Amino acid sequence: MMPIWTKSGEKHAVTLLKVQDCHVLRYVSKEESGGKTAKLLVGGKNVSPFSKPESAHEIFKEAGVPLKQKVTTFNVTDDAIIKPGTPLYAAHFRPGQFVDVTAKTIGKGFQGVMKRWGFKGQPASHGQTKTHRRPGAISTNKAAKVYRGKKMPGKMGNIYRTSFGLKVWRINTKHDIIYVNGSVPGHTNCLVKVRDSKLPTYKDCNKNPPFPTFFADGDEELPEDLFDEEIFQFTDPSVTFS
Amino acid sequence: RVSSDGKPPKFQPPPKPVIIDRKTQKEERRFLSPEFIPPRGRTDPLKYYIERKDMIQRRKVFNIPEFYVGHVLAVTTADPYASAKSNRFVGICIQRGGKGLGATFVLRNVIEDQGVEICYELYSPRIQAIEVLKLEKRLDDNLMYLRDALPEYSTFDVNMKPVSRMDHEEIPVNKLQVRMKPKPWSKRWERPKYNIKGIKFELPEHKMKAAQKWTQPWLEFDMLREYDTSKIEEKIRKELSEELEK
Repeated sequence: MMPIWTKSGEKHAVTLLKVQDCHVLRYVSKEESGGKTAKLLVGGKNVSPFSKPESAHEIFKEAGVPLKQKVTTFNVTDDAIIKPGTPLYAAHFRPGQFVDVTAKTIGKGFQGVMKRWGFKGQPASHGQTKTHRRPGAISTNKAAKVYRGKKMPGKMGNIYRTSFGLKVWRINTKHDIIYVNGSVPGHTNCLVKVRDSKLPTYKDCNKNPPFPTFFADGDEELPEDLFDEEIFQFTDPSVTFS
Repeated sequence: RVSSDGKPPKFQPPPKPVIIDRKTQKEERRFLSPEFIPPRGRTDPLKYYIERKDMIQRRKVFNIPEFYVGHVLAVTTADPYASAKSNRFVGICIQRGGKGLGATFVLRNVIEDQGVEICYELYSPRIQAIEVLKLEKRLDDNLMYLRDALPEYSTFDVNMKPVSRMDHEEIPVNKLQVRMKPKPWSKRWERPKYNIKGIKFELPEHKMKAAQKWTQPWLEFDMLREYDTSKIEEKIRKELSEELEK
């Protein structure tokens, strides 16, 4: 994570996400998948072929792409279908866009009720016998049962969670890095899924994104760094107020 | 000695003396700002490389002078609520923290009997000028104990003139021993974990001895805590000098 300053002098914290060897693996049509839209399988981060069983090698052989560590699905409209085997780059996103980021949260292991659910526990003194971090009562007398989903101690973390509506501040096309506002679930160097935001406020936010994606062998020549309009670039002199 | 042909031996001139000019050979003092050195961790070095590019960009446009803890600095920042739209603060640097673009330094001064500490970010675009008024290192890396010292040690004149110094001189170390206010202090500075050499402890002997109970003599032999930055520093220095010359 890194600080970033706007032209008015405000500081925002930014997370750096690197797009590492992403390729489109397969196109699944609407009827095949049984959903409302077509799906595209995308794989990220190359990994050695010995880490996965032979049965999993098929998709990668068809697409002609080295084995990937993680394969995710994206729901895609019919006009945004991409041929399997095309690489995806960070330039697919543009600064000023809003994005949802999904990842597996940091695993905390077996945790008690105070850390896992934020219960208040019991006082440290004034007669409490061996009860300081326990849940207390778990149901009422009339119910005569414990409801399903009762918050109790258990394994915490290591589940998929999404941060919604994160602004993209900056894109580095040379190293394929996306600078995303705020924090993102997961530990450093973990695999992350970045998607266009589904929040209704940001529905019409993308003004001319590269559609269906940014093709590296096309005619477009992008500069090494793409900045949002509000970012203070370090080539400018210091900020002054008038 | 008689040579073969009977003539006197040929005159061998004495070897020329080799003059080693020790003054010019003195190694140039190379200062690397501490925020360039990446901390120990599992982060990708690519992240530090990109951060360093941004820091170098900023340094090309805005001059960040070399300074240590104990220097007296004057910082002008842009302030939207001030009448002249800029704000100047003079103070002694008591701490330099943070790595990368978020590097900070804390300046302390006593203004009208009120101690004021301001934490500035080195790479913030709101800073318009940093001037070093007085160059002197102190015995410690962290002068937080000035909060519990007598206020005279933290007062600096706001309109102080910069003290001139030659470029090649070593930065003088001020071996000042600071006198403290009576206890209680904000931290127990006599404990060995802070390792403070710049305080004149006027505590009784038994208290100083009791504080030594918290020594951890095994720390200096702990090999897992060693972080040798010499090679990393060399690489970063080379990178910096190349980029700044462009």
